[in-house]
Amino acid sequence: MTTAIEPVPVAFELRPELEAHEPPEARGTGRDDVRLLVSRTAGGDVSEHAFADLPDLLLPGDLVVVNNSATVPAAVAVRSTLAEAGPLTVHFSTAMPSGEWLVELRSGSAPATTPVKGGSPGLRLELPGGAVLTLAGRFSGRLWLARLSTAVIPYLLRHGQPIRYSYVPQPWPTEAYQTVFATLPGSAEMPSAARPFTPQIVTRLVSRGVSVAPITLHTGVSSLEGGENPYPESYDVPAVTARLVNLTRRSGGRVIAAGTTVVRALESAALADGPAADGPVAPSAGWTSHVVTRDTGVAVVDGLLTGLHEPLSTHLWMLAAFADGALLNRCYQVAAAGGYRWHEFGDVHLLLP
Amino acid sequence: MRQAAPLPSVEVMTSSPVAVVTGASRGLGRALADALAVAGYTVIVDARDSLALEAAAAAIRARHDLPLRSVLAIPGDIADPAHRADLAAAGADLGGVSLLVNNAGTLGASPLPALADYPVGDLRAALEVNVIAPVALTQLVLPDLRTTGGAVLSVTSDAAVEAYAGWGGYGAAKAALEQACNVLAAEEPAVRVWRVDPGDMRTQMHQEAFPGEDISDRPTPEAVVPAFLRLIRERMPSGRYRAAELMPAPVAETPVVETPVVETTATAEASS
Repeated sequence: MTTAIEPVPVAFELRPELEAHEPPEARGTGRDDVRLLVSRTAGGDVSEHAFADLPDLLLPGDLVVVNNSATVPAAVAVRSTLAEAGPLTVHFSTAMPSGEWLVELRSGSAPATTPVKGGSPGLRLELPGGAVLTLAGRFSGRLWLARLSTAVIPYLLRHGQPIRYSYVPQPWPTEAYQTVFATLPGSAEMPSAARPFTPQIVTRLVSRGVSVAPITLHTGVSSLEGGENPYPESYDVPAVTARLVNLTRRSGGRVIAAGTTVVRALESAALADGPAADGPVAPSAGWTSHVVTRDTGVAVVDGLLTGLHEPLSTHLWMLAAFADGALLNRCYQVAAAGGYRWHEFGDVHLLLP
Repeated sequence: MRQAAPLPSVEVMTSSPVAVVTGASRGLGRALADALAVAGYTVIVDARDSLALEAAAAAIRARHDLPLRSVLAIPGDIADPAHRADLAAAGADLGGVSLLVNNAGTLGASPLPALADYPVGDLRAALEVNVIAPVALTQLVLPDLRTTGGAVLSVTSDAAVEAYAGWGGYGAAKAALEQACNVLAAEEPAVRVWRVDPGDMRTQMHQEAFPGEDISDRPTPEAVVPAFLRLIRERMPSGRYRAAELMPAPVAETPVVETPVVETTATAEASS
């Protein structure tokens, strides 16, 4: 069914000191107080900056496309237990068109949860507040299709905690998991590339002549194993953004995606409903299974602002659509040697043409 | 230049009061949800159009910089029993509903037909949405309302008491809803039961009642919200109210020039 995608040969060791264990605000500074690694594919050069330099690194006429999905607290502790697993945590990942959700069962409680192999179709799990989660069937290695007895997002807003993995030892409020663009709740994990943006930086971008336009893509859980293909996610590229992307491309500006979710949404829109009369992107909404890789390439996105990704992660497949393996390797070596910080609260990487 | 942004502490379950507002994707329902969220309620909002509802909820949160869980959007059709159960369960889950605003309603057929020609199916649908659904939802949240000393506020219309040609379906339904509220008030002394006629407003429903007509002279729904807030804040007695008579009175200005007091004799005004 799924074609195996060749791993991107980015060789580095993710040492514990390279992991961001808390938001930069915990250090008493702003959310923009992170580092910005910049790589340019044309010349193959790599340079180091502060995130606050971003407005000066972009050009008037560029368009930054952002994801306005807000993070919901998607982890729920489960009362009933699978005999073999002990206490469970359910991670709600993705709403499906059927009304079912993709969920991941994890053993233990946050942050020390690990994937659970158990579970069987028809299994009923009692959740806090009297809700019942019924497993319908296995969707992939670790994701289940499941149905909750009540409306999921309002339920999560009442009973969930932000999904947290072992490298974040302390709980942080849901607000720490929102970007300044967060508007529509639906992401299981923060679309974190845009986390360092502040109202001041957005204002400086606008003042410089850089435009900003939204898409919505609700991100699912990130805890895929190496080699596991990404699953479908729901997205919406509104008419205004499709028009601005096309206009920017026609006018010689560059389309910069603030996050891999934005790349997935725009490239999916170009494939699903494009081209439009005014350019490659048409307004588009739905569920996308499109996986951007070196082989698919990118049709409409010129640059990418993204976090630093784990070795073998599927996000690296997408980065390979922007930069060749040699350049990516050099970036990650600079980042690892320079003590950059990985994960959702960490430093960011801008790939420019 | 860069300021330290202190992180909010990890959220604890707060005991903010819980309101349910039906039909809150636009118009009066949205304006009431907005005002209640600002007043500190956790507001559960409902509407059939999930995208419009989510957008309305997002706009309310963004306008006032409120957290995600301050406005919970549960899309669905108020005439669907499962959806009503979902609304009530969410309210109970948050600690119990203390205010139910029965705002969702339908005009029925548009343009408004005379009763002689009223399609019976449309009439039945108008009664289902305007009477059965709010009464059934009220039944589900009554246990909460009794414990919280809460209130039910049902939006009605002068069409419930006046005989406007073409308004037979909607008017009959609102009259039935009003009488249900009237009786409920007698049966439930611990709960406030208000029925409120907001007056004509610049809403989509009003436009559908007067297709093609310029309704821009009608007040916005936001303009009548203070009347509703007064009812809630002062926990006024159960009964029927018109928004116009609940509006906080403007502060009287002291006249700059004192007008001489002229003695007048009793006039014809006193007659009849």
